[in-house]
Amino acid sequence: MSDVAQAPAVPGLFDLDFYRRMQALVQSWVTLGEIPPARLPAAEDRAACERLLHAEARLIDALRLEDWLSLYTEDCAYWIPADVVGADPARFVSWEFNDRRRLEERVERLEGGRAFSQIPITRTTHIYSNIEMLTAGSDGMEVLCNFLIQTNLCGRVSQRAGWNGFLLRRTGAGWRIVLKRVSLFDADLAQHNNSFTL
Amino acid sequence: MNAIAEDTAGRYDRYFRPGYVHRDIYTSPEIFEQEMTHIFASDWVYVGHESEIPAQNDFVTRSIGRRPIILCRGKNESLHVLINRCSHRGALVCRQAQGNASRFVCGYHAWTFGNDGRCVGVPLSHAYGPDFDLASQGLRRAARVESYRGFIFASLNVEVPPLTEHLAHARRYLDEWIDRGDCLPVVVRAGSMRFETHANWKVIYDNAGDGYHPPFSHISMLRVFARRYGDVDMQYYSGNFDEAPLISRDLGNGHTLLDQRPSMHAQSAWERQHVMPGREILREDLNKHYGEARALEMLDASTGSGLNLNIFPNLLIIGNQIQVLEPMAVNRTVVHWFSTTLEGAPDEVNALRMRMQEDFPSFGEVDDTAQFEACQAGMEGVPEMPWIDIRRHMNTGAGHRGDDGIWTEPISSDQHMRCYLDAWRRTMNAGAARLAKAGADV
Repeated sequence: MSDVAQAPAVPGLFDLDFYRRMQALVQSWVTLGEIPPARLPAAEDRAACERLLHAEARLIDALRLEDWLSLYTEDCAYWIPADVVGADPARFVSWEFNDRRRLEERVERLEGGRAFSQIPITRTTHIYSNIEMLTAGSDGMEVLCNFLIQTNLCGRVSQRAGWNGFLLRRTGAGWRIVLKRVSLFDADLAQHNNSFTL
Repeated sequence: MNAIAEDTAGRYDRYFRPGYVHRDIYTSPEIFEQEMTHIFASDWVYVGHESEIPAQNDFVTRSIGRRPIILCRGKNESLHVLINRCSHRGALVCRQAQGNASRFVCGYHAWTFGNDGRCVGVPLSHAYGPDFDLASQGLRRAARVESYRGFIFASLNVEVPPLTEHLAHARRYLDEWIDRGDCLPVVVRAGSMRFETHANWKVIYDNAGDGYHPPFSHISMLRVFARRYGDVDMQYYSGNFDEAPLISRDLGNGHTLLDQRPSMHAQSAWERQHVMPGREILREDLNKHYGEARALEMLDASTGSGLNLNIFPNLLIIGNQIQVLEPMAVNRTVVHWFSTTLEGAPDEVNALRMRMQEDFPSFGEVDDTAQFEACQAGMEGVPEMPWIDIRRHMNTGAGHRGDDGIWTEPISSDQHMRCYLDAWRRTMNAGAARLAKAGADV
């Protein structure tokens, strides 16, 4: 429970133990019933984490991706599975499984002016709802929420929906994101252009 | 030859001029329907990999063009390709993506079929009268099913040549791709990505053998990796890259190859590869267990193959993925990227293979898809400019026949399009002639 909020053995570098911990975390989420009272967060922590998520969504929609990245820890992961059954990412392909380096590369690619998949850009409005929080040790927080992303690409309106699993950590600079796992409810089916930030 | 056959023998020639192809073959709904019959229902089509249905009674549902099929493993390792249409009212019999079943029961009236297609049960069959013959009520089956080293192809046309003959020179490169992974079997059970693309299926096939676009379409990706990692994979696409050891080959029957291995792999595919999540620590772990030299051999098997092997009409092998084109409509295609692992490889190697197989789709394929949709929109919108240019290296004399008999051109050549579109034209002409003959015979 508390160990999942800890960094990988080497920051940013995913070893097999890291994948095992990711698997355990996802399994605990998909089998979760009611949140055990012992894991309900203090009101103050809950409010702080909620502010972080709202800022995260707002910065994506405003395309302020450098600022968005600053909300993530050095050992973070940004993960979009390609399945809806909680498959093991060490042996099953994802849409994306980014460490900090690859996340920075992703932002650099999108902001370099030549990423044709985002010329023109996909406009987005992120809605986070049904937010549930569980403490993970004294300085960790697990957050589950549903998301609805309204998009418009070249006049074509479409939506993305599903649930996010966040792992947050209390740092000297406030709460930061260690993991964002974007579980599209149709991740195993055909997806159109998802090269924006989900 | 009668008058009708003569007229139709070259029915599709009109869409071609030397160095050009007409937009109608990408934009006409009528031609799309004709392709589904003359190509997809008449030629060998890739339907799946044996490792997807390893056990008896395993099945997956797929399609041959627009025709829904069930690919199943029967008794004694047999392979069956059934048309997924109930012989009763035409409903899809099987509606699941995959599973294990010895029988398929249609949800509508419970007509029941064995996974070899035989009809084994019809409720209240007395009402069909005393002459009702269960044996004639089976699901239609593909006329031919063959596996080449795990790659299963099917044809709805009994008259196709043997699969190995159809594969022609593509067989050699399929072998090289299969044998590349540290002598371990390729397994296709590691999930897939499916890209919905608002473009004709051939726009995607065009791109699969296009060695001209990478430094332009993929500049966003190449710049990021160059700035961070220097002279890593695919940076050889700069300057006059036709002078690099990169080649385009005509493998026969519309199959083609881009071979980037001499440049991409140089001394070591692993050393040349840019950074994947986990690269350093997983390498360290392998070094500890196996020693550096053996670890490096294993790590090479986690990198991309350096091959783009295109097997007409729907199988595109790229890197370590098996890409399959599923035409949905004249301007809509689902592109399936099946990922692969190596059976028996260390978990570290397969984890790196997964991250590697997410790399190009998320940093490169997305930009390609934007080009596909831009081509479709431009072609559909401007009828007064119907001709598409496929002239590169047509008249430069840069091609040569290799010692192996395979015609070879510089990587930026359009020979891929010229070759496969010629196979397209011949196959479509033959289909039209067959149809005309059938009509004349009636």
